[in-house]
Amino acid sequence: MAGDGVEVAKLEEKELKLCEDQVSHLALDIGGDQGDEAPAGDKHIVKATGGGAFKFSDLFKEKLGIILDKVDEMSSLVAGANFLLKAVHHEAFTYMDGVKDYVQIDHKDLYPYLLVNVGSGVSMIKVDGDNEFERVSGTSVGGGTFWGLGKLLTKCKSFDELLELSHQGNNRVIDMLVGDIYGGTGYSKIGLTSTTIASSFGKAVSQNKELEDYRTEDVARSLLRMISNNIGQIAYLNALRFGLKRIFFGGFFIRGHEYTMDTISVAVHFWSNGEAKALFLHHEGFLGALGAFMSYEKQGCTDIAHQFMEEHSSVAKSPFCTSDRLESSTHTDVKDNGCIECRVQVRN
Amino acid sequence: MAGDGVEVAKLEEKELKLCEDQVSHLALDIGGSLIKMVYFSSSSSCSTDDQENGFIREGTNTSSGNLEYRVLSGRLHFLKFETSKISECIEFISSKRLQHYGDQGDEAPAGDKHIVKATGGGAFKFSDLFKEKLGIILDKVDEMSSLVAGANFLLKAVHHEAFTYMDGVKDYVQIDHKDLYPYLLVNVGSGVSMIKVDGDNEFERVSGTSVGGGTFWGLGKLLTKCKSFDELLELSHQGNNRVIDMLVGDIYGGTGYSKIGLTSTTIASSFGKAVSQNKELEDYRTEDVARSLLRMISNNIGQIAYLNALRFGLKRIFFGGFFIRGHEYTMDTISVAVHFWSNGEAKALFLHHEGFLGALGAFMSYEKQGCTDIAHQFMEEHSSVAKSPFCTSDRLESSTHTDVKDNGCIECRVQVRN
Repeated sequence: MAGDGVEVAKLEEKELKLCEDQVSHLALDIGGDQGDEAPAGDKHIVKATGGGAFKFSDLFKEKLGIILDKVDEMSSLVAGANFLLKAVHHEAFTYMDGVKDYVQIDHKDLYPYLLVNVGSGVSMIKVDGDNEFERVSGTSVGGGTFWGLGKLLTKCKSFDELLELSHQGNNRVIDMLVGDIYGGTGYSKIGLTSTTIASSFGKAVSQNKELEDYRTEDVARSLLRMISNNIGQIAYLNALRFGLKRIFFGGFFIRGHEYTMDTISVAVHFWSNGEAKALFLHHEGFLGALGAFMSYEKQGCTDIAHQFMEEHSSVAKSPFCTSDRLESSTHTDVKDNGCIECRVQVRN
Repeated sequence: MAGDGVEVAKLEEKELKLCEDQVSHLALDIGGSLIKMVYFSSSSSCSTDDQENGFIREGTNTSSGNLEYRVLSGRLHFLKFETSKISECIEFISSKRLQHYGDQGDEAPAGDKHIVKATGGGAFKFSDLFKEKLGIILDKVDEMSSLVAGANFLLKAVHHEAFTYMDGVKDYVQIDHKDLYPYLLVNVGSGVSMIKVDGDNEFERVSGTSVGGGTFWGLGKLLTKCKSFDELLELSHQGNNRVIDMLVGDIYGGTGYSKIGLTSTTIASSFGKAVSQNKELEDYRTEDVARSLLRMISNNIGQIAYLNALRFGLKRIFFGGFFIRGHEYTMDTISVAVHFWSNGEAKALFLHHEGFLGALGAFMSYEKQGCTDIAHQFMEEHSSVAKSPFCTSDRLESSTHTDVKDNGCIECRVQVRN
């Protein structure tokens, strides 16, 4: 789009035969509707990352005749993040005090940064350049913990249901606050107000209540707060450790949920004394898949013309559909989220 | 004891009247979940050991030469109660008449106010209750400062207080007084405070986390319906964390992700397996749930601790609070988290009187008013056979106190002002 600050260059368009042994339309379908399909019987190679690329290798071969070409997980996450940050307008944003602010990424000032991918578990990666990175930390207290513990405690049927429950909850019912211990006052000498959480789930210790006596909304709220706060804290401790100012959060834990983003933002900004900043990504959970997709490029088969990008999003689950994003995509699949229009160059 | 490296000097002994308005031999730390109590009881005569080893010179902290002092020898006792059952604590104090002046037989005239040093939030919250039920005025001592004072005292004065625990081996650590500072003190109570200690009264609370002992106990209670913290620990002892935790091997199909230092048994996501299994809470063994919970919280505390140790260049991390309780799996998890993830730069150390740092520190604060002076140059530690599984042979001198709550009595001398 004109005026969005992205360089527009002219693409070559040639009619070429597909690179049959290497290109799979699985990757091609993402972002386009060329409708090319490989002839039957040919081996299809599909780039795949994550642990399942190993675990389900045989299954894909057996059921679809697909060979999964394994791409390193960390490298995919980084490639995907770098691509989005450089190529897509309105990808990264901050969220503080209820206000969402898109961030303009200066390509010359992108590195270094901390990438925190919150999947089932959490990986924290220091990114120093296009393909320069190091996984410096992580935690096993992640999205899987929230969902797993949440399911045990509330019998919720899905992650989204758990998030919805938390929306209606009050954490002060189960969390022990500083004020509960100090009798109404805070401990200001060390920076703790009376509403600061001293001990998550701490009140459950002394109340004569069983799990069933608590509202699932309150349980979900305390759980979300505990995990979000913890992730924010470990993230900022690592940002401080390496002198990093920006922390980008990926993975499907956040999902545009305001309480989550607020908790993480406060944990990062407040406890690092403003030295570090939390930023969220629209395509948060797709970093790895995008990065794996980008890796076709390295073989010279495809080249995503990321100099010329437009982002169209279907009205997805994001509560932040601002007016500049309501151009509907031709894809009506409700799982579809943030389609990116682009050009792909394929080798003969 | 001879040979323990502690300097022994001659003590002055004078017969003096107690400092009536100020001395109480009791101190409290009233926390979110537990009330910790330290009190001193004196014995009528010195032990024969004293005559052999000499006495301690009282020179260090005395102020005005006009003041006269009396030295009492006896023991420090350590007890704990649940804050939710504070009436039991009050009952105990009353029954032992601890709000009075101990076993000397001196009693303050009726109507005198008894002042007791108290720290923790409950010193504020239950101030009125103590006044009403026992006629005690709680003299509030800052919580962080008490923790630090208690830790410093124990590390300098008590033999066999700090130890490491790695690969099933417990090793006592000799503390060099000239090389004690700086260190990181991590107190794991209901919540966690992390304090950088730079000197005797020099410290700064640099961090903390709300994921602490109260989380383990609270979440554990909701998930397993356990009746106590110790029952939850006992359950965890029999559990297998691989049932509910999602391991790297579960995601990668049997292999690890060695490129980034994760083996196949590394936990990728705590409680992650519960997501996809068609099971409800009741279908899981409480032992496995307790184990995963303990692992998750211990690992998390270890991680945040080492990140703060690295942040300030601290090599030693001392863990206090009642979360650990000598439980091997807990200590092992924390030790691995600290040693392994800091690449050996930081070390986890545990304290025998772990949960009593605050109460001890509050007790020490009587000293600042010139009333009492614990002759900490001459200390022996006797422990009753408490809940600690680590009763090694040099600690089996049984105490005369049979109260099962009693833990690690410390014999010492207390000097009280006229």
